[in-house]
Amino acid sequence: MPPALLTTSLVNTIQIGSLYALMALGITLTFSVMKLPNFAHAEYVTAGAYAALIVSLSGVLNPLVIMIAAFAVGALTALISHLAVFKPLEGRDVSFYTLILSSFAIGLIIRYILFTMADYFNLFDLRIAIPLQILFREGYLILSNLFAWVVPTSIVLVIILTLLLNRSPLGREMRALADNIILARVIGIRVERVKNYTWLLVGGLAGVAGALWGLQTAVHPLMGWGAIISVFAAAILGGLSSFSGTVMGAYVVAFSENTVMLFLNVNYGLDLAFKPAIPFIIIIAVLLLRPQGFTNLIKRAGDLGR
Amino acid sequence: MITIHNLTAGYGKLEILQDLNLSFAERQFSAVLGPNGSGKSTVMKAIMGLNTVFGGSIKLKDRELIGTATEAIPSLGIAYVPQRENIFHELTVLENLQLGARSLPKPERPAALEALLDIFPILGRRRGQRAATLSGGEHQMLAIAIAWLSKPKIMLLDEPSAGLAPAIATDVFRILQELRQQGITLIVVEQNARRILQYCDYAYVLREGRLVFQGSAEECLQDEEMIKGYLGVHEGSVSTRP
Repeated sequence: MPPALLTTSLVNTIQIGSLYALMALGITLTFSVMKLPNFAHAEYVTAGAYAALIVSLSGVLNPLVIMIAAFAVGALTALISHLAVFKPLEGRDVSFYTLILSSFAIGLIIRYILFTMADYFNLFDLRIAIPLQILFREGYLILSNLFAWVVPTSIVLVIILTLLLNRSPLGREMRALADNIILARVIGIRVERVKNYTWLLVGGLAGVAGALWGLQTAVHPLMGWGAIISVFAAAILGGLSSFSGTVMGAYVVAFSENTVMLFLNVNYGLDLAFKPAIPFIIIIAVLLLRPQGFTNLIKRAGDLGR
Repeated sequence: MITIHNLTAGYGKLEILQDLNLSFAERQFSAVLGPNGSGKSTVMKAIMGLNTVFGGSIKLKDRELIGTATEAIPSLGIAYVPQRENIFHELTVLENLQLGARSLPKPERPAALEALLDIFPILGRRRGQRAATLSGGEHQMLAIAIAWLSKPKIMLLDEPSAGLAPAIATDVFRILQELRQQGITLIVVEQNARRILQYCDYAYVLREGRLVFQGSAEECLQDEEMIKGYLGVHEGSVSTRP
């Protein structure tokens, strides 16, 4: 593979992998604390991207303000889906499968609300209007201000989230819920409050991921949905329980989709149209061969959050 | 202190306790005894709001506990140590203890943790370890410690000696005695009647969801017939069944 392609694909791997990590951490957190594989997660990403797009179209170009708006909208979307659907269903003690299906349904509803809105205001395929600047150019390697936003923001958010989970009282309570929800109730943890905060956090992170994504590609009502399988593949690589495993998983998936795919294309003529199959292959392989993902490799001092 | 009146309770549609009447006195170490399936644990779960109550009342002094959310019960001064799944396995020992002390005002927490290490010195040495790595005895000490840290007036313990080697079970009962001396009301469900009767003040015996005997520990121990007939426990037997 020519070095130019290799470098570009590695840059893509880091950029996309960081976004996957942000989204997949939310999946892992929801699965651990709420015992729910939430497919509506994709739509929190899209909702955040649209919030960012609308704020930027209204003339606010400060990336920080854009991120905060995306966080808020993603967080609220997640909290509403919990309060309106998941919580009442949990109260009725429904099966795991009902919860999964309901998450698909909520995702569908949010997706088509966004579709209707995008249609009405003509918001299809627009990019968040932060001007593109080239920060670094050396031969084939081009790094723009988008790279400078996406990668550090994702990494900083992952670090903040890890600290929050491991060092703060709220994080400790979240992990207590993930571990044993009945005991959490018995010792007086206000479980519903902790769940609400978890949803806000999960949705907020997804929203920011959407905004960062919308910086580099066009915002579209299907953008979150289009990535959800890759994101689930990353979370499954993390065993749906380990945070560091999920982050590693995100980069592995991004690497396979970009660098490995390109390598197979250049050297063996494999059509790039096979790219969407990669996360499925990863999911099937992990579930068949190593359902715990990376967890036991890194599980020394604890589970979620380490 | 806790008065149970005409309680009918169980799981789902299954009634395990029927019209049970019980009254636990303040500052006493009470044992709830009975064979498998007699409803001992069900009494505790009903107090904690963890199962289905079909009728009757459970009063803490004058306050009705039925209908109170489980997470609101600790703030009334009641701490419960379930039989299994009574620690947070994936958290460290210290984090488990911090969760136990979370309801205390912040300035009181360090002193409470220090006092705790006097009673449970082993936990100090294990503080950085993941709780899942503890031995059976240490595990049970941690579970009791989590409950004790909230400074409860009443502690409910469901078979604290289940599955422990006899010497370690004795350690657990000694600790319970120490807690009673601090003025905590103890209600302990036990399978091994003979052993706990050497430590507790008062005993209740359940059979098929009804109270069949109550009396002081001495009375209970002297009543060989009752022990054999209702408890069916042989000398020194240790059972791990709920």
